[in-house]
Amino acid sequence: MVSTDQKTDVKEKEADCPVVVAVTSHAVFESGGAEDPDGLYVGGIAFPLLQALQKVNERLLKENPAESLLFDVIVITTESQQQQQSSRITESIRHHGLKVSRFCFSNEEDFIENLLNNNVHLFLTTNRNEALQGSQKGVLSVLLDEHTASCPTEQLRVLFCGDAVVQSEAGPALASKQAAQSFSAQIGKMRGRFGLFDSPISIALVTSRGGRESCGDALRTLRSLGVNADEAYCLAGVPRGPIKRLLRPHFLLSECFSSN
Amino acid sequence: MVKMSLEPVQVMSGQVAELKVAPSSNGDSAGSWEGKREFDKDHLGLTAKPKPVTGRRARKVEGAVFFPKPENAVTVAVSSRVLFRTEREQKVFEQQGVEEYLRYQIEHENEPFAPGPAFPFVKALETVNARLRELYPQSEELFDIVLVTYNHAHVGIRLINTINHHNLFIERFCMTGGSSPIGYLKAWQTNLYLSADANKVREALTEGIAAATMFMPEKMTEVSESQLRVAFDGDAVLFSDESERIFKAHGLDKFFEHEKENEDRLLDHGPLKGFLEALGKLQKKFYAKGQRLDCPIRTYLVTARSAASSGIRALKTLRAWGLEIDEALFLAGAPKGPMLEKIRPHIYFDDQMFHIEGAAEMGTIAAHVPYGIAQKHNSKHNTSAGK
Repeated sequence: MVSTDQKTDVKEKEADCPVVVAVTSHAVFESGGAEDPDGLYVGGIAFPLLQALQKVNERLLKENPAESLLFDVIVITTESQQQQQSSRITESIRHHGLKVSRFCFSNEEDFIENLLNNNVHLFLTTNRNEALQGSQKGVLSVLLDEHTASCPTEQLRVLFCGDAVVQSEAGPALASKQAAQSFSAQIGKMRGRFGLFDSPISIALVTSRGGRESCGDALRTLRSLGVNADEAYCLAGVPRGPIKRLLRPHFLLSECFSSN
Repeated sequence: MVKMSLEPVQVMSGQVAELKVAPSSNGDSAGSWEGKREFDKDHLGLTAKPKPVTGRRARKVEGAVFFPKPENAVTVAVSSRVLFRTEREQKVFEQQGVEEYLRYQIEHENEPFAPGPAFPFVKALETVNARLRELYPQSEELFDIVLVTYNHAHVGIRLINTINHHNLFIERFCMTGGSSPIGYLKAWQTNLYLSADANKVREALTEGIAAATMFMPEKMTEVSESQLRVAFDGDAVLFSDESERIFKAHGLDKFFEHEKENEDRLLDHGPLKGFLEALGKLQKKFYAKGQRLDCPIRTYLVTARSAASSGIRALKTLRAWGLEIDEALFLAGAPKGPMLEKIRPHIYFDDQMFHIEGAAEMGTIAAHVPYGIAQKHNSKHNTSAGK
């Protein structure tokens, strides 16, 4: 029988640590550095995602004020131009009411180091190159685009893609499979803090190509990581686009299932 | 009571050559199918990978299509509560709450569910598919059965185990974890949706998807394993409820008068017209291969209308739509139960609960289409005598 309390000691320890999520400033704010009348940056693609992460934290603390399994959000700059804008970035964050624990003002050369030094579990960017670099260094990196992240829901919606065919745009890397699995376990544990209905996190699984067995296998894989999916869709060749639009995920994860 | 076994209604010329299956063509007239993809019999390119044969498969069809494209297939979406029997689990849900319900499901994960009211119908669809694959191995014009459930994915593994156990061919499913599946039904270009929940069925109908509510009869009479039989009521199922409105508002005489006056005016379409159409398209594929007498699909009209009078308008409408129905039974108000018991359809669609209950009493699997004026009057004491 499956229970979210059934974990090894190592996982237990991991699960109690905060989940460190690093988002690039480019993703948080509109690209091109668009400004509002006060000279502050306007919310960009990752904005709704950050709000959802925040909501999850609020609900986790409501369930247990001593909760330590929370999202720890870092805003990171990845190029020198943004690095110069430190005060404007911090001001804009504050202005929009986003709770960010740290800022890392780095550039193209050292941002990866910063990711590693800060023990980042999930790196979110709108830049394909950055995502690739992150993956190669073993950091779970997810590429955000206008379709995956900008959905107007309060609930954090995570989509697992169960077919190896559906590679994350960042490209697979051996090291990041490990990172993907431990991040997934953390998400699963967080999800387990809430009941079936009215949860601030929702986890969906999609298999695109294979039949029901491949979806069944993916469900079992997730379960072995401590993740109980809320929704599951076995498409068996039906075009993914319309389904993805209906699911409105904040981001997609597929590395857990890659065959390497 | 008059039983008429008609020869298949004369098909409008020019329609036999078109072998297009129109998805979700609820009420679309023939002309609007022009834009749909034309089936080219010479096109041999496989559009989907053939599934490798495993020990579970009873059938082995080389090179056949197993994952048809939604726009080519006749998509039938069934919910888990009508495909299987889940009364015990429902009780746990109602009495002990959702967490206990899920725990129970997971505990019993390796126990397959027993067949539900839609099970014989789904098995019959698969029989038709097997015959279609023999005749047209490259074609995607098949029934595509999709499991659509509001269940949480926790129940997913038990459902998959059950599908395996019964050797059903269901490779697509959608477990929405509580949210409405209507968007997915549309994305899958669903031709028919069967559910145990009338609200969900009503929602689908308003979105233009043919849908019906199914109930578990106390006994299920045996049905054919080699021929799919689908029976339809006429008014407010195949046709609109316009005539029924007249009957309800002004009585039987007015109804007859109205029907006579309007004999040559076509009835408007009803929610299940598109599904009958889809069945007809598949039937023609058998006819094209000389299998009219041995066709594994048979359709029936079971109506309270009278053959000599009000039934004429119904037949003329069907003919004008280019739809064939294999048998039309005009009961002139007599109870439908006994006739259905003779036909033994895998499913019977009616808009009035009175008839659904009557059918179920005699072991016929009936599906309620909650459409039209009858819904305001739906009660066991309501009859549609002598139409």
